[in-house]
Amino acid sequence: MGFINFLVYLAIMMGIFAILSVSLNLQYGFTGLANFGQVAFFCLGAYATTIVTLTFNMSFFLGLIAAMFLAGLFGYIIAIPTADLREDYWAIVTLAAGEIVRIFFLNEDWVVGGGPYRGGAYGVGDIPQPFRSHFSAQTYPFFYLGIVLACLLVTYLIVNRLTKSPFGRVLKSIREGDDNLAQAMGKDVKKFRIKTMAIGGIFGGLAGCLYAHYYGFISPQEFVPLETFIVWAMVIVGGEGNNKGAILGSVIIILFYNSTRYLKDYIPINETTLASLRMVAIGVLIVVVMLFMKEGLIKEKKRIY
Amino acid sequence: MALAGVSFRVDQGSITGLIGPNGSGKSTCFNIISGFYTKDRGEIYFQGEKIENIEPFRLARMGIGRTFQIAAVTEKMTVLENLLLAPKTQTGEGVFNVFFRAAKIRRQEKENYEKALEILNLVQLYDLRNEYAGNLSGGQKKLLSLGRILLSDPLFILLDEPTAGVNPTLIKDLIAAVKRLRDEEGKTILLVEHNMKVISEICDKVVVLDFGRKIAEGTPKEIQNNEKVLEAYLSGSSKHESIHENS
Repeated sequence: MGFINFLVYLAIMMGIFAILSVSLNLQYGFTGLANFGQVAFFCLGAYATTIVTLTFNMSFFLGLIAAMFLAGLFGYIIAIPTADLREDYWAIVTLAAGEIVRIFFLNEDWVVGGGPYRGGAYGVGDIPQPFRSHFSAQTYPFFYLGIVLACLLVTYLIVNRLTKSPFGRVLKSIREGDDNLAQAMGKDVKKFRIKTMAIGGIFGGLAGCLYAHYYGFISPQEFVPLETFIVWAMVIVGGEGNNKGAILGSVIIILFYNSTRYLKDYIPINETTLASLRMVAIGVLIVVVMLFMKEGLIKEKKRIY
Repeated sequence: MALAGVSFRVDQGSITGLIGPNGSGKSTCFNIISGFYTKDRGEIYFQGEKIENIEPFRLARMGIGRTFQIAAVTEKMTVLENLLLAPKTQTGEGVFNVFFRAAKIRRQEKENYEKALEILNLVQLYDLRNEYAGNLSGGQKKLLSLGRILLSDPLFILLDEPTAGVNPTLIKDLIAAVKRLRDEEGKTILLVEHNMKVISEICDKVVVLDFGRKIAEGTPKEIQNNEKVLEAYLSGSSKHESIHENS
């Protein structure tokens, strides 16, 4: 049973991170927006739903909506002053924005009053799990996996539809290097970037919400920039500009990330060293993919009319 | 200062050539008209209205279309995708429309697709329609940019060296296509071009720049015999030969 529970845990993590990587892929893979602060959406989503469900005692659905709304709004606001920046500057700004969000929650404890944890650096616990009372401890993870997969499916369908539409066509033209071309075609490039960041934020917030309710405990330490780079690894390994690739990438990276749990029995290295080595393994994986499969495991699909 | 005191008029329904040695300010002039550069002073009028501090994409929507000297194509998009970018107001470019106005989008896409096919035949890229634009040759990219302009249907078209790198037989078709734009559709065209044969064949009027100043203006014939023009080309580069070649 322990092994099945572990598999369910893995699948839930894969689902949550797949939502994050599909969101990043829309921003980077399709639009060329190098968002190095993707974790900010994740963090905001997690805290928004925590505040709504824990502090204000409202339902999971309201928490979900608040998470998506707040993260989407954050993406929108971040993009307004920065939409004209070049890719490298964009990366710097978003990295900083991600840290601002994390440090805000690290220093403010008023945002989540009550409970045994007081917010701030202590983290917040006792985040309610939706429909928990309807299930036993054994069956609940399966139910939660269902919620996560349903959310992933909806995310995938929406993003896929967008990227295949004329809207997605404009995004790709913005990605292809300079704005001039899209501008000369009469496209309001800035507006498209802002919209993309808002949509990316909405789904990033969704992932954050699912994460918070699954663990029941969140703290600012979980939203460090490293998380952003793990999502980047998923997009790079899976395949930029391909939504299925982003999902595959998250499956692979989550497997690597959790590899210490099942490799410890087979590899004669002590567990702590092995745990540190997994980040090395992800790094090596990125290098190998970049060297031998530049476009990732699943290439961007050519659009044939 | 890249341009100083340059003043000229492009008549509606005409083809005006803009020539000059390298670095004379032709491209700067294009970039200022199409809004990519901001000017320090001076005025530009389009259809009787002063255009001032208008973003490039708005100018494009107002009907000022342009191509780029180094043919800008979106490399990892197919030739057809490149063309389908061109139509200006597409319903499917709105996020909500994508989900709630699917039927209208499908109809529009079909219309645009059919127009795109016509243009592909015109610029002879039909066989390459599903090829990534990044894999095209320089000349083919030029043709693709021209095709895109045709599909976006502007009132005023700025063409930056449309025939550079295009093979000679295709240049003939290109010239015919540009002429047809003027004669049958009444478009107004401003053209930067080094090929004097093209200039003298299609231009109603030619404006010559040198070191950011206008040094001559007139019909192609007048220009070719203008001393100032000859001097500019002589001192500047070897373009002198190409001027005489066809005169």
